[in-house]
Amino acid sequence: MVGLSAGERQFIYGGIAQDLRSDGRQRLQFRPISVQTGVIPQANGSARATMGATDVIASIKAELGKPAPLRPDKGKVSIFIDCSPTAAPVFEGRGGEELSAELSVGLQRCLLGGKSGAGAGIDLSSLIVVEGKVCWDLYIDGLVISSDGNLLDALAAAIKAALSNTGIPKVSVSVGASGEDQPEVDVSDEEFMQFDTSGVPVVVTLTKVGRHYIVDATLEEESQMSSAVSVSVNRHGRVCGLIKRGGTGLDPSVVLDMVSVAKHASETLIAVLDSEIASAEAIDDDDAI
Amino acid sequence: MATGTLGTYSPSQSLERRHQQQKRTDFQEVDWARSDGRNFHQCRPAFLRTGAASSASGSAYAEFGSTKVIVSVFGPRESKKAMLYSDVGRLNCHVTYTTFSTPIRGQGFEHKEYSSMLHKALEGAIMLETFPKTTVDIFALVLESGGGDLPVIISCASLAIADAGIMMYDLVSAVSLSCFGKNMVIDPTSEEEACQDGSLMITYMPSRNEVTQFTLTGEWPTARINEAMELCLDACSKLADILRSCLKDNASELTA
Repeated sequence: MVGLSAGERQFIYGGIAQDLRSDGRQRLQFRPISVQTGVIPQANGSARATMGATDVIASIKAELGKPAPLRPDKGKVSIFIDCSPTAAPVFEGRGGEELSAELSVGLQRCLLGGKSGAGAGIDLSSLIVVEGKVCWDLYIDGLVISSDGNLLDALAAAIKAALSNTGIPKVSVSVGASGEDQPEVDVSDEEFMQFDTSGVPVVVTLTKVGRHYIVDATLEEESQMSSAVSVSVNRHGRVCGLIKRGGTGLDPSVVLDMVSVAKHASETLIAVLDSEIASAEAIDDDDAI
Repeated sequence: MATGTLGTYSPSQSLERRHQQQKRTDFQEVDWARSDGRNFHQCRPAFLRTGAASSASGSAYAEFGSTKVIVSVFGPRESKKAMLYSDVGRLNCHVTYTTFSTPIRGQGFEHKEYSSMLHKALEGAIMLETFPKTTVDIFALVLESGGGDLPVIISCASLAIADAGIMMYDLVSAVSLSCFGKNMVIDPTSEEEACQDGSLMITYMPSRNEVTQFTLTGEWPTARINEAMELCLDACSKLADILRSCLKDNASELTA
């Protein structure tokens, strides 16, 4: 992205102050979102989400593993984001590492809830096969193909869609396994268990430019931000995670105000996303028949 | 606990013991005693010293209960030649855990994101315009991880930066809070952190009334976020006073 001139910066600031952004949107309006599911046949679940020119892919692979000793009744989920150099040349080699780490941690915070597992978007207890011995390890991998701002929201949307597309194979445990040994498990190729994604939250990032907040910022608008707050809200309107990004300080009352604005904006996002995922799944089913 | 084949002490024994201890303490009860005798809204006593590493421009050592952190600040130093000219200073933060800081060796690698979080927390407080073209390096070393590591690292780092004489808008203090069902517990230890339902961390500049970092995990209704924020901001202001008094004591020691 070429640097912005002083005139362009002024244009962005002024537009946001007047509730008319450079692409004609209002401050709290999202770009058109489109979702395609089942884009990666080798993964257990996958989805591609585009928000304007931002393009991300999420893929989910499930492998059998051993649960953590302190949490024998829960499966494991690990989220890893990779920023591809196709999005920006600066991401080549180790350049994108910092951004990838920030996005991975942000999504883990939003989707996995507290350490005890309470408030998690993904129900980890549903991933258990044999308590204490065998569980499903979910590897959620996100790939940023094209970046035009608002990566966290797009990745969260893609992950939500990928989870609804995920089929975990049914596992039958052989009876009569002795206490200490690993039980024999038979992974079926035919039957699949769908994930319940009604609890998965969406992420809404509010970017503060000047004195106003905008939702779904483009790369240009993000370069002018003073700070941003990403709030993860679930279907019931409860906050599941919050990260403040950007270096500039914010008044505590401003932070709380941003939380309530984000909750309000998340309602439209959840509705749009749900309908997009449903239609994407429907197209998938039509193709399969 | 089967120790048949193991003749010598092994850390996994203490892991088992802690696991059993966790099962016994039911954090969902309304009233439970914290392991170090504090009440829910009481922070750990803070021990702070500046001048811990004599070869650094500024340094500080902090001990909050069993969390021990040492931070050294080097700079402002010449930026590497590969970096482009910039008319504001650059900040380079690095947080490392010693291998013996956690109960299980090498567990500190799970916290790779602390370096960038430290950077973001301090960015808003340091006057970067006062040292253009140069870099300030901040190295934090966690000697023992006893819970609430990142807040201690941030508070200790702002003390070290002040000790180095780098101009700041205000000292940054940080506090974290854990949520267990209906209870909110401030400044959790590592056992409490491991079973928490949700957590909240705030870094705050009291004189400017600005929040530089805010992270929240777990499910929270908005009213509880308000309540938790007030608790934390109050604790941050008190911590900032303690940081200030530590700097003053150090200064008076030098002049005396």
